[in-house]
Amino acid sequence: MSARGLLFRHESVLALLLVLTLAVLAQQSDKFFTMANMLNQGRLMAEVGIIALAMTFVIVTAGIDLSVGSILGLVAIVMGVLWQKAGLPLPVAIGLGVVLGCIAGFANGFIITKFGVPPLITTLGTLALYRGLAEGISQARSVRGYPDWFFTLGQGELWGIPTQLWIFLLLAIITAVILGLTPFGRATYAIGSNSIAAEFSGIPVRNSYLIIYTLSGLFSAIAAVIFVSRVSTTRSDMGTGLELDVITAVVLGGSSIFGGKGTIIGTLLGLTLMQALKNGLSLAGVKGDGTIVMIGVVLIGALILSNLFQKKGDG
Amino acid sequence: MNTAAVASNVPSRRWQWVRSYGQELVVLSGIIVLMIVVGLYNPRFLSDNNLISIFSGNAYIAVAAIGMSIVIMSGHIDVSVGSLIGVLATIAGTLAVGDYPVWVAWLVPVAIGVIVNTAVGALIAFAGIPSIVVTLGMLSILKGGLISITKGNWITNMPGEFLIAQQRWLGIPAPVWFMVFLTVIVAVWMKSWPLGRSFYAVGGNPEAARAAGFSPQRTCVLAFMIHGFFAGIAALLFATQLQVIQSTVPPNLELTVITASVIGGVSILGGTGTVIGSTLAAILFACIGSSLVFLNVSAYWLRAVLGLLILTTVLADMIRRHRNRRSL
Amino acid sequence: MLKKFLLTAAALSMVAGSGWAQWTGGDDLPTNPLACDGSPGSVAAKPYDGGSPSNAPNRKGKSITVVDVPKLIGIGYFNATSKGITDAAKELGNVSASTDGPTEANIDDQITFIDNYITSGVDGILFAANDPVAIAPVLKKALSKGINVVGYDANSQPDARQWFVNQAEFNGIAKALVDSMVAEVGANAGIAIVTSTFTTPNQARWIAEMSAYASKCHPNLKFLETVEAQEDNILSFNQATTLINKYGDDLDGIFGMTSVATPASAEAVTQAGECGKIAIVGLATPNAMKPYVATNCVKSVVLWNPVDLGYAAMHVLRAVADGNLKPGAKSVKAGKLGELQIINGSEILLGAPYVFDKGNINGFDF
Repeated sequence: MSARGLLFRHESVLALLLVLTLAVLAQQSDKFFTMANMLNQGRLMAEVGIIALAMTFVIVTAGIDLSVGSILGLVAIVMGVLWQKAGLPLPVAIGLGVVLGCIAGFANGFIITKFGVPPLITTLGTLALYRGLAEGISQARSVRGYPDWFFTLGQGELWGIPTQLWIFLLLAIITAVILGLTPFGRATYAIGSNSIAAEFSGIPVRNSYLIIYTLSGLFSAIAAVIFVSRVSTTRSDMGTGLELDVITAVVLGGSSIFGGKGTIIGTLLGLTLMQALKNGLSLAGVKGDGTIVMIGVVLIGALILSNLFQKKGDG
Repeated sequence: MNTAAVASNVPSRRWQWVRSYGQELVVLSGIIVLMIVVGLYNPRFLSDNNLISIFSGNAYIAVAAIGMSIVIMSGHIDVSVGSLIGVLATIAGTLAVGDYPVWVAWLVPVAIGVIVNTAVGALIAFAGIPSIVVTLGMLSILKGGLISITKGNWITNMPGEFLIAQQRWLGIPAPVWFMVFLTVIVAVWMKSWPLGRSFYAVGGNPEAARAAGFSPQRTCVLAFMIHGFFAGIAALLFATQLQVIQSTVPPNLELTVITASVIGGVSILGGTGTVIGSTLAAILFACIGSSLVFLNVSAYWLRAVLGLLILTTVLADMIRRHRNRRSL
Repeated sequence: MLKKFLLTAAALSMVAGSGWAQWTGGDDLPTNPLACDGSPGSVAAKPYDGGSPSNAPNRKGKSITVVDVPKLIGIGYFNATSKGITDAAKELGNVSASTDGPTEANIDDQITFIDNYITSGVDGILFAANDPVAIAPVLKKALSKGINVVGYDANSQPDARQWFVNQAEFNGIAKALVDSMVAEVGANAGIAIVTSTFTTPNQARWIAEMSAYASKCHPNLKFLETVEAQEDNILSFNQATTLINKYGDDLDGIFGMTSVATPASAEAVTQAGECGKIAIVGLATPNAMKPYVATNCVKSVVLWNPVDLGYAAMHVLRAVADGNLKPGAKSVKAGKLGELQIINGSEILLGAPYVFDKGNINGFDF
């Protein structure tokens, strides 16, 4: 890739935007650009971040998964109920919860591949179904009283860095390698660009979809465990609205909703930009409603900017 | 090829009609079945008041779904319609309380809806940004903007003449009239007039449509413009249903509207579906909501049942489409 | 296939809707119904169980910044508490207070807001919690940074805040609501409830206490059903209308459990032409209920005064910051409200529930 091509990639534009934003926000408040604050923000964005890693795969295949928030809520509830009502040891309950997340994701993939229902509609339906299951299973009661050791996951640190941030970074590296450097990653891009051509060139399209949607469920489950640990309780309405934050981060990061384009690095940049705005604007004295407006403006603005630059880059 | 054999395989006209309106018929039969089953279980379900409540309760969703269906048919989507309705409803209420003539309070929000969505459509068509991204951004901008301006204060004390949704003409609530009238007009327009048909063309196959002289860009802007108009009317119905306007965005409204369009047969892949389907679907939702209360479904499982019904309807539609394709 | 499924669903759900001993929507925490005749419940003295900030700077007499993070912004109730807080801040003169919060009653968003304000270095935090346990970690973090923390309306775990201003005891509110309803519809009436969601802690507590009080003092009151309507007033209206249609004459009264549900239920009763036949009793802000009280559709609206609640909370925070309110105190002076009693270790009682009716409702503007 030529230097010019590199300069005008969406990720580069985004990185520049991120640096600019950080500089402006740091100017507005001296509490913004401190190590403690940065680490704290890393802790807070771990859940959305982990799910966004999997969502990148989904969106690159021209799909979408709106049910991730509901899967998070369902896994959290099942984990809590198995531990409290069924009396299972907590690690076992957590394990079973994660397995359930995979099954929920697999169900999405199954409906999409076997019945040909478009991902938007499938996950719209499972969004309601999984949330409803969470509410029904829990009978709207929350689960509390987890043992203290469990809270180190969401509230503790390891060598000065929040525990969940380590997990997030690990998963980020793994997914970046898979998407960018492995045959499976290349197959994902191929499916997103043209699924029919991919089928004909021997790529197992159906199985790839199944794996990717199961991955989405798995990562939602991991995020659920971290979330419960961070807030020390389980509620059936956890994760409501999360899917929009995740999709915004991925799309801001340069993944095209039509498939075939997008990187983990882009997603990480988009995520960081959004978190920086939410935190920095608040510290600068902007209230919640103003921040929401800014994020919408940045989303549209970043994509307009990126489109302009890419037109220039193509010569 | 043996022409006789081919001729005998061509389905009759009536069967073709049934097939092309397949999804709408599925939804309609769903409504009828529910009415029979629940009516038998608790006859009060079929009382005048309850039927009127079912048909008018979601009328504003049906009207919004008309515009949404056109947008989806032409290959796009709008996740900001809920926020837009919230904003337009607040504008309508503010004008009504502010001593402006009632017709101003009715027309201005609709006009603003058209203007805002035309801008959105233009952004999508000419800046090349996917509709889901632009409308995701608009959702935030409108939601935050609404709270900033109203500070969360509700609007009360609106003049009675303004409350159009509470009026009844010939015994039937105004929202039902709007819903039926607008649905029929748009459905006929989209089947019979070239401009109406262009939405199907562009959504189904943009390149072929372009070759045939339809410009995808112009169609996109037009689709969003019309969508803005219907969002404005839906906002009026929403704002005048009660005596107070909550100046927050109704949660999940956009998902409900999109689901209504999709269940009604509008294909997310573009190109098929009718607004009759989306209106019937909105009525079906109201019917299901009421049914679940009448059937004493445990309140804690309500949402799960709703989700299951959505999935079942969609699966039924997909199976029906496969069967259609195979029998050709 | 759809038809088959619907028939099965109908059959199954007939089995599902069995009778509940407790009213649907209540939580399963222990209840403590008051005596039927109005003699006040005994309030056992408890040692102070609130948390305390570590290394709080000496704020006595100094100017402080305070942020108020309610459950959500954009509804009349929290606009009123916010007004009370601003009024008190103006009266005190050395407090700069602002209200900021999520647009939906979401635990995660509320935690993020509080966290941001901790980082920005506020002196005091006022809150109304979406979930008592979920908010505890971030509040404890605030305490550890020396920030004064006082709650109102919806409590957190006691050790996560210094004091909690309680509008009224849960069993007191339950008694007021049930007694108001019985006064209007008699002791043999059929009642239904419109609430926000089953997971909202305050609402769940009130319903549980109402259920316990009713079975103790008005056992012939027939509970019909509870419906959820989130904080959406059109949905509340539709749900209330469905209840009216479903039960017909069997329904004599509707409880509205939130300031969104009550006016919407009143509207449903009005539009169904059942004013006078179906009573509405609930929690609501006066402005939203004025049209219905004026037409005599609603006789009385039970609430405490949320403006006073916010006002009291602000004064308590100032007293704590100044070091005037210490653990073990029996009462605290809250500006024009006078001395407020301290109960349950670290709870400050605003007083008795306030009843708005035709005679006084026009004197209020919130």
